[in-house]
Amino acid sequence: MILSGWEAVFFWVFSIAAIFAALLTVMARNTIHSALFLISSLISVAALFIILHAEFLAGVQILVYVGGVMVLFLFVIMLVNVGDEERGQEEIFNRSRQVTTSVIFCGLLVAGLIYALNVGYDGIKQRDVATIGETGAARRAQDQTLATSATGASKITTGTEWVGNGLYRFGALPFEIASVLLLVAIIGSVMLARTLKQEAAVDDVAPDVLREEAIKDSELLEVKVTE
Amino acid sequence: MHILLFKILSPFLGLLFQAPGQGRMALVWERAQNPDLSKFLIIGALLFIIGVAGVLTRRNIIVIFMSIELILNAANLNFLAMSRYLQETGSVNAVAGQIFAVFVIVVAAAEAAIGLGIVIALYRNKETIWVDEIDILKW
Amino acid sequence: MYRYIWLVPLLPLAGAAINGLLGRKFRFSERLIGGIAVGSIALAFLISLASVYSYAFGSNAIWPNVYVTSQDGASYSWIPGGAVRFTTGGHARSVASVQEKAREQFTKMSPEQAQRQTVPVLSAINEQERASLLDVEWSYQLDALSSIFMLVVTGVGLCIFVFATGYMHGEAGFYRFFAYMGLFMFSMLVLVMGSNFLMMFVGWEGVGLCSYLLIGYYFDRQEAANASRKAFITNRVGDFGFALAIFGVIATFGTTQYTDVFAQAANFPLEPLGQWGILSWIALGLFIGACGKSAQLPLHVWLPDAMAGPTPVSALIHAATMVTAGLYMLTRTNVIFQHSQTMMTVVAVVGAATALFAATIGITQNDIKKVLAYSTVSQLGFMFMACGVGAFAIGIFHVMTHAFFKALMFLGAGSVIHGMHHEQDMRRMGGLRKYMPYTYLTFLAGWLAICGIIPFSGFWSKDEILWSAASTRYVPVGWIVWIVGTIAATCTAFYMTRLMALTFWGKERFLDNHNEHSDGHEVHDKDHDTPAHHAHIPHESPASMWVPLAVLAVLATIGGFVGISPAFTGGHHVGGRMNIVNFLDPIIWNPTTRLFGTHEVVDSFGKPLELVEKHATASVLTTEPAHAEPPPPYGHEGFNLAHAIDSFLHNHTLTEWVFIIISLLVAGFGMFLGWLFYVKNPRLPDIWAARLRPLYLASYNKYWVDEFFGWAVTRRTMDAARAVFSFDSKVVDGAVNGSAAITRFTSRVTGLTDRYFVDGMVNAIAGFIVRLMSPLLRAAQTGFTQNYALVMVLGLVLAVILFFGADITKAFRAVFAVGF
Repeated sequence: MILSGWEAVFFWVFSIAAIFAALLTVMARNTIHSALFLISSLISVAALFIILHAEFLAGVQILVYVGGVMVLFLFVIMLVNVGDEERGQEEIFNRSRQVTTSVIFCGLLVAGLIYALNVGYDGIKQRDVATIGETGAARRAQDQTLATSATGASKITTGTEWVGNGLYRFGALPFEIASVLLLVAIIGSVMLARTLKQEAAVDDVAPDVLREEAIKDSELLEVKVTE
Repeated sequence: MHILLFKILSPFLGLLFQAPGQGRMALVWERAQNPDLSKFLIIGALLFIIGVAGVLTRRNIIVIFMSIELILNAANLNFLAMSRYLQETGSVNAVAGQIFAVFVIVVAAAEAAIGLGIVIALYRNKETIWVDEIDILKW
Repeated sequence: MYRYIWLVPLLPLAGAAINGLLGRKFRFSERLIGGIAVGSIALAFLISLASVYSYAFGSNAIWPNVYVTSQDGASYSWIPGGAVRFTTGGHARSVASVQEKAREQFTKMSPEQAQRQTVPVLSAINEQERASLLDVEWSYQLDALSSIFMLVVTGVGLCIFVFATGYMHGEAGFYRFFAYMGLFMFSMLVLVMGSNFLMMFVGWEGVGLCSYLLIGYYFDRQEAANASRKAFITNRVGDFGFALAIFGVIATFGTTQYTDVFAQAANFPLEPLGQWGILSWIALGLFIGACGKSAQLPLHVWLPDAMAGPTPVSALIHAATMVTAGLYMLTRTNVIFQHSQTMMTVVAVVGAATALFAATIGITQNDIKKVLAYSTVSQLGFMFMACGVGAFAIGIFHVMTHAFFKALMFLGAGSVIHGMHHEQDMRRMGGLRKYMPYTYLTFLAGWLAICGIIPFSGFWSKDEILWSAASTRYVPVGWIVWIVGTIAATCTAFYMTRLMALTFWGKERFLDNHNEHSDGHEVHDKDHDTPAHHAHIPHESPASMWVPLAVLAVLATIGGFVGISPAFTGGHHVGGRMNIVNFLDPIIWNPTTRLFGTHEVVDSFGKPLELVEKHATASVLTTEPAHAEPPPPYGHEGFNLAHAIDSFLHNHTLTEWVFIIISLLVAGFGMFLGWLFYVKNPRLPDIWAARLRPLYLASYNKYWVDEFFGWAVTRRTMDAARAVFSFDSKVVDGAVNGSAAITRFTSRVTGLTDRYFVDGMVNAIAGFIVRLMSPLLRAAQTGFTQNYALVMVLGLVLAVILFFGADITKAFRAVFAVGF
């Protein structure tokens, strides 16, 4: 899948952007900045997805990941107190020992990974060079049969259809299980984020804990008594 | 000591001082003009490493979570790059990559929800978001 | 009719079972219990009477042949052949040798011969094999000896049972008494009717057991319990010898059936004085058993103590039946005894010694029952004397007459005790003949019988015994036995007359010192428990008690006529088989002719009868020498008193009359002395007791035999027991406790080692290591999650390096293009 021309340019642009944004995510002082940099990294990756002909995934990434998860992140950032950090009274990085060790080993990992990927890709390329040639011709022929889009500039690809086919036929069971997982996540997150008062109202607090907390906050007991 | 330094630096110096159109630099330029699967994987790897570094080095728990999202994202990129490549080679399982990526996103979303719920609960109990202040398991 | 003799033991057993098992549960009345008991015995008596009549006198009489119930199938295969195999003993050896020979013969034969010979030789082997396997059956034997005993046991038993219904009236354990008595009758009948040694042993033990149960009938009295235990243990000493003898019989003869054993034993060689063979051993064992059962010296000690039981028990068991079991056994096995002259001598000597010993003790006893007890021992000695000198038939004759008069006297004593309200000390009786006429009259008959006054039964039998002792050719010491027997007869007459005088004649002493009661009398019923009650006038016993006395008195008077001495009847035992000597003849073996029964028996019409073994020359057993004097049985004989006098007088009948006159004279002398001492001049006993003080003390204290046994046997056994106990507690327990102490010590040492050494090591080494390492390891637990994540990454890196180690070095070299 050798890219060329404008695709290559866009590839480089978006990949540099993604990496740059990721770096800034990790190094930003302000948590909101961190979140926004992450969003831009995610969108860049979504663009990369489109270059990879995975349009559906790109859409899902932006809608779900950026539109859902990151918004959630932003809400939570609002909920917690990050003022000290922003004012520079708190350190954002860990102790130097931790940081140094991490950076060294991450550097090692990077070097190793890149080298391995290069060597590995050479091997794969050599192995598949023949099949790529064959299938390339077949795909190009198939691409001619695709319908044209409304503007006439491109063809309507069947990628999404293909994904839907696979997802709902062969991946139907994982799909259902994933929905159960989401259900569990919903319930779990609701349960985890309850306040003590809310828990006391539904009698979900252990009595000794309730007594201890009631010493600090006398309103709890009232709630309990009315039950 | 000098010899060692020279040895380490020599490839990079070679890069700088090579004539265009020949040698390694030309190769690099040619390869950069036509990125293929390996570049995607490298990008994915870099994103992954940045994410790992973020997890290991930051004090703010929310930023750690965001780094984890980075990691997952890099994995997704990997999946899709391989999926595309397999389409090229005509493997019938090429769509599995994209399907898997869908599930990764689902799981990432669920995990983010739960994780942030935990963060909220933790914040309520400990009044802090700095992970090095949460050391109850210390001996 | 004699085919039904198997009913005879069964009826008393059934009666005993009903009384014993149901009597208390259903609360039978005394009348019912007594009725069942007496009825069962009466029925048994009638059946035995009919059986004996049809056996001996009926139209199809088979006397002198023996009848065993297995001939008609009424037998039970108790130990079937094949259950036991002989490996040692004479019989096994003989069988083995026969088998060997047969097998040799068989193997040496050529095939054709073998073909033809197979069946006979093989069957010979099989028969000998079969014969080597012990076969014991439960069947009853009816012959002359057992028929006499059957009649005596059931007849006298019937009288005693009837007496007991009156005597035991009011007892709480009425049913128990009759249950035990019925059981006793069953055992005794099994003993006398059994067809083999093992059945006799069963009956032997059974009567021993019932004796124990009945002597200890008043189990709440220590004295009765002691006496019953003493009786049983002394019996057991004898039973041990008896059991050894039975083992010898089985080993030697291979069978226990009388018919087989005696047929085989007849062929064994004689063992005169000085020779001691297997038959002498067997005879010794049998004699020891007889000593225990029939209370001969030195195992007589239980009989006087056994008077602690109720009087009917004393009458039945210790006068008439159980103690005569020894005599039965002796006569039954007379073949074996007559083979061994040594044992015959022993029997005669022991019998004579016992007779004199007991008679001298009886002179000084004050308890009426004790006097009768010693009298029993003495008379048993007489019977043993008779058997010892070879006059087995006379011994049995004396058994019969003794049963009559001794049972009579015991029951009479019981009547006296009952009438005197449980007073047993003769010193407090006297002049009772006015108050108890029936008792007195019947007792009179018994007294005359035992003293041996003609024509009472005791005279006939005792006189014959003394004559046999004097004229015996079996043992060399016959004359000594005669002298001792005569002295004993004198003493018997003396003390029996004393008893009569103290009890029935003379001054009435029962009104003096009535508040004191002598010891040793039985408690009759509840009212008579209090010692301080007003004087009782003795009264006659009820009819249930004196009627049996009358019956027995009649028997004591006329019972002797079945054995009239040949001196009175011209040298023969007349009466055919009505004469007891003739009747018993077929079972007595003659060592001279080596045949059973030598008497040419004529029936009541004078015609000779068929015998099992008939000898041409009819030599009479003891009474008359044949025209050609037969040789002495054992080859030599000692001084024969009768022959000595006979050679002086030259008239055999006159010789016999001499002895008769002597015995009558001594009896009269004894009676005269008794009258003199206790009627004419009552101060004489004390004078003579003072003059002969040592003898008096010896006699009064029963020659201190009990004390001697107590010292020699009882105390030594207890010493041994104490020694063993101390050994056990010191050595054995000491070893056990010692090992426990060792274990405790070792455990303490181990504990200390563990605590100080092992734990010290652990604490030192392990503790040191832990103290060393724990700060280091603790440092890893920072509680800081990102540290943990870092460690994970480090692990990942390590894994990658390890996995791709080779590739990494290659790449390293390639990138840096250096040769290192």
